[in-house]
Amino acid sequence: MFHREAGVFKTSYAADMALYPLPIAKWTVAAFAGLFIAVVPLAFGEYALSLINLCLIAVVGALGLNILLGYTGQISIGQGAFMSVGAYTAANLIVHLGMPFWITIPAGGLMAALIGLLVGIPSLRIKGIYLAIATLAAQLIIEWTINHVTWISGGVQASIEIPRPSLFGHPITSEAGIYLFLMFFVVLAIVGTLNLVRSRIGRAFIAIRDQDIAAEIIGINIFRYKLYAFAISSFYAGIAGVLESYYLGIANYEQFQLDVSIDYLAMVIIGGLGSILGSIFGAIFVTLLPIVTRWVLDGVGGLFFTEANLDNSVPHLRLVIFGSLIIFFLVVEPDGLARLWRNIRSYFRAWPFSY
Amino acid sequence: MPEFEWQFTLVLLTNGIMIGLMYALIAIGFVLIYKATDAINFAQGEFVMFAGFICAGAAALAGFPFWLSALLAIAGMIALGFGLERIVLRPLIGRPVIAVVMATIGLAQVLRGGAVLAFGAGTRAIEMPVGGTPLTFGPVMLSQVQLVGAGVSLVFLAAFSWFFLKSRVGVAMRAVADSQQVAMAMGINVRRYFALAWAMAGFVSALGGIVWGAMLGVDNQLAQVGLKVFPVVILGGLDSVLGAVVGGLIIGIVESLAAGYIDPFVGGGTKDFTPYVLMIAVLMVRPEGMFGRRRIERV
Amino acid sequence: MTRILKTALALTVGAATGLGLAGSAAAQQKKIVIGVTCDRTGPTQIVGTVLCPAEHDYFDFANANHLLDGYTIDHPEIETGYKVPPAVEAYQRQKQEGAIMMPIYGTPQTHALNERLEADKIVGTTPGFGIAASADGKKYPYLFPIAASYFSQGAAAVKFAKDQLGGSLKGKKIAYIYFDNPAGTEPIPVIKDLAAQEGFELRTFAVPPPGIDLSAQMLDITQRFHPDFVISHLFGSSPAQSIKAFKANGYPLSKVVGLVWASSEADIKAAGGWGVAQGYNTMQFAGAGDDYPVRQSIKAMYKKEGKSLPAGMDTTVYYNRGLFNAAIEVQALSNALKLTNGKPPTGTDVKQGMEQIHGFTLGGLVPPLQITAADHEGGGWVRIFQVKGNGFVPATGWFNAYRDVVWQQVKAAEQTQ
Repeated sequence: MFHREAGVFKTSYAADMALYPLPIAKWTVAAFAGLFIAVVPLAFGEYALSLINLCLIAVVGALGLNILLGYTGQISIGQGAFMSVGAYTAANLIVHLGMPFWITIPAGGLMAALIGLLVGIPSLRIKGIYLAIATLAAQLIIEWTINHVTWISGGVQASIEIPRPSLFGHPITSEAGIYLFLMFFVVLAIVGTLNLVRSRIGRAFIAIRDQDIAAEIIGINIFRYKLYAFAISSFYAGIAGVLESYYLGIANYEQFQLDVSIDYLAMVIIGGLGSILGSIFGAIFVTLLPIVTRWVLDGVGGLFFTEANLDNSVPHLRLVIFGSLIIFFLVVEPDGLARLWRNIRSYFRAWPFSY
Repeated sequence: MPEFEWQFTLVLLTNGIMIGLMYALIAIGFVLIYKATDAINFAQGEFVMFAGFICAGAAALAGFPFWLSALLAIAGMIALGFGLERIVLRPLIGRPVIAVVMATIGLAQVLRGGAVLAFGAGTRAIEMPVGGTPLTFGPVMLSQVQLVGAGVSLVFLAAFSWFFLKSRVGVAMRAVADSQQVAMAMGINVRRYFALAWAMAGFVSALGGIVWGAMLGVDNQLAQVGLKVFPVVILGGLDSVLGAVVGGLIIGIVESLAAGYIDPFVGGGTKDFTPYVLMIAVLMVRPEGMFGRRRIERV
Repeated sequence: MTRILKTALALTVGAATGLGLAGSAAAQQKKIVIGVTCDRTGPTQIVGTVLCPAEHDYFDFANANHLLDGYTIDHPEIETGYKVPPAVEAYQRQKQEGAIMMPIYGTPQTHALNERLEADKIVGTTPGFGIAASADGKKYPYLFPIAASYFSQGAAAVKFAKDQLGGSLKGKKIAYIYFDNPAGTEPIPVIKDLAAQEGFELRTFAVPPPGIDLSAQMLDITQRFHPDFVISHLFGSSPAQSIKAFKANGYPLSKVVGLVWASSEADIKAAGGWGVAQGYNTMQFAGAGDDYPVRQSIKAMYKKEGKSLPAGMDTTVYYNRGLFNAAIEVQALSNALKLTNGKPPTGTDVKQGMEQIHGFTLGGLVPPLQITAADHEGGGWVRIFQVKGNGFVPATGWFNAYRDVVWQQVKAAEQTQ
């Protein structure tokens, strides 16, 4: 990122697939990441940290969906439901068995992965947009089940309050503490995804995405790998769900409904399909865009509207701007924010000697 | 526990048929776009809502009579269809399906915000010039608004079937959907037919918006009818107008019977997801829906 | 490429300006911040676009009439679209602005914010929705339902049915039709208890939200179950559809009572107007109609400023609920200022101020609430207004019912939480 290669000297596939182009890159990336993680909680106030925390949770969920949609090419409109599976699994473990977070978080992920496997079964026969609608069905069925099965939902209110995660007996309550807590899982998720997509499984995913029949012919068991993709993607979603309920202090299925699934879809597509950096950008973009447009409109809205109209018009204007920006990015840069970032970087890489 | 009664079942069945035809009315717009342009329109519900807003808004704000506001809604939606195709969809031609899907999701947000900005937020009624009292046939009662919706739906089924089978424009549209490149090589103006397809979808959505608006009242929640379209079109097959109507009928009947005979046993509303369960079952047997065309895939 | 960079630059500058302006707002002295959140774009838009402006109107009215000695109320609003994460963001923002009280918007949002309110000592009000168990001020110290919870509404509806059916429910049949979500299912335990106590047969009819079509359920009620009374807990376009369907199937609307969110002018209008809905009973936790001094004062305030009246004022049910919520909050602040002798109140003072509210009726718009440290619901008062002629006519006085059963359920709900 901050250094320039003097040429391409790779002589083996292993070198070509390495995470870092140069040995020194490993250290610069680690240094910057460490600096970022350490400085952010000191530099920002509580409100800014709460925004960052919302983004961090979204990053985990978006990475998961990207594995399924961006790398394997299977559209899913059920991310929100998988998050709720994770959230309720963890909530029940916490409330009934008093489990600590380092058990509940993987458990929530595993349970979501199991349900994801089930939902992935139709992908044996169904493809493309038909499959997308089948996952929409999963979303509705999971919502219904949680709402009606009281031993999952903990009563007619379908919400379970859970205490903050505690480390060595101390509950993590401050936004900065939660930030570090979330960051740990975000780093795990990023590193995990980076390595997954370079592995045999990841390459199989990409082959299926590019042309599933061709993939089958060269000997990839596409059904098995599609199921893997569903399970891994749901695992991430489940973890994101647990993290969100830890952050909010409650598991409630109404916070994981269809609009959430669509938001995640937007994150992955706007960020850039099949790009890890893209998922991160997308998660930040979709989470912060409504908030930033609100700041802007609060700032300049007074010029266009009378005060009484302001409260009523601004939220709708925000909706229009949000939708328009989605369309704008799709039209201008179909490969997403990740591509935009690459373009900017390669522009500066040769700068000032670009032609 | 409720017992089985023939008379009540008959009532539920007719009710399901009427509702199913109303669903079909919205689904046809969706199918038209897919058939001609291969695009999935996630903003179909918002199209319907926007049409309802125009119709109800014209009546409430300008005091137009029903027929004039209905005409205005139809004209407005056709113009919207043309405009959207030009600004949003045309730059996305040739892009992956998912990009188009996302663009229509963005479009849905714009229409939601825009409709309220333009017409205000409160619930409005659309006063159709038909009686409020239902027609009675023995135990069966049919609401007149629903009858109008069902009638329009059937008329469109016939009209579009003829259109795609016999008319020159319809055949050209099918050719475009089949393969854009071959169609272009044969001298068909692909862009024009894309625009036409969106305008036609706007037209059908306008009628859907008027009928559904008259039934539910017009506010931003009207867009939720769009969610009902998915099981209908997937069950019938995404590219079949007949499939949309048959799918609509099946979903309508299943929903009605589910409410009458499943809900009392499970203690909750199963109407929303039973259609989806049925849909998945059908897809496992026929992955392209009942009337969908099987695509031949090649490496 | 340059075009994209330019756009990005413009966006950044815009955002920075917004931030700067937002930051500079919280400087002046002698201000009390009430952080309003609202849904104006989401599924409950038809309520939010009327209710929230009413809250602002009342705060402006309070400022103009110096209801709080020496203090002005700052009432910034953040719109959440009825989503939970934006509600949490809004909460953090309002907290940063120094809010000591917040009218919360929505049941899932109440769940998400409850713990934070308690930790940060900020008073939240949830009139007519939220967690029914939060009536217990011992368990939920900073959450104030202030109006009848869904438990109390269900109990009051049964009491109303009993009075309408001649004083006894023995052997009668009651249908409960509801939105199949947590808010809709909440009253069921109370109504079930009452079914056992009063000896009536209860059957429930679920409508999955958003309730696009409920014709099958309505047929089930009117043509198979034939109930003596119907309690309807619907929302959105569903109440209007149910009214039409009752009418079409020949079921008398005078035997139907809608709980508080199935009870506004908007529902009547969408059903086809007052003529269609004659006899329909609506449950209110704030008075309906135009006939209250506070509404006239606000109209006068608008007239004085030369502005046209807010569009939502015609939907008196939701508008008056906004006034109700804001008025109780201002009253609590005023009580709190008495406690602090004019010093800036903290959240704890406001809580105590809230717990001293009684005998505050706002010219009949507010029921005879008595909020105490133990009872944050203030008694669970409602009033039935019936559709008669071209408006709502009171069918009962303010009443509450079966408090023992309601509190039993409050305690039971606390166990599972």
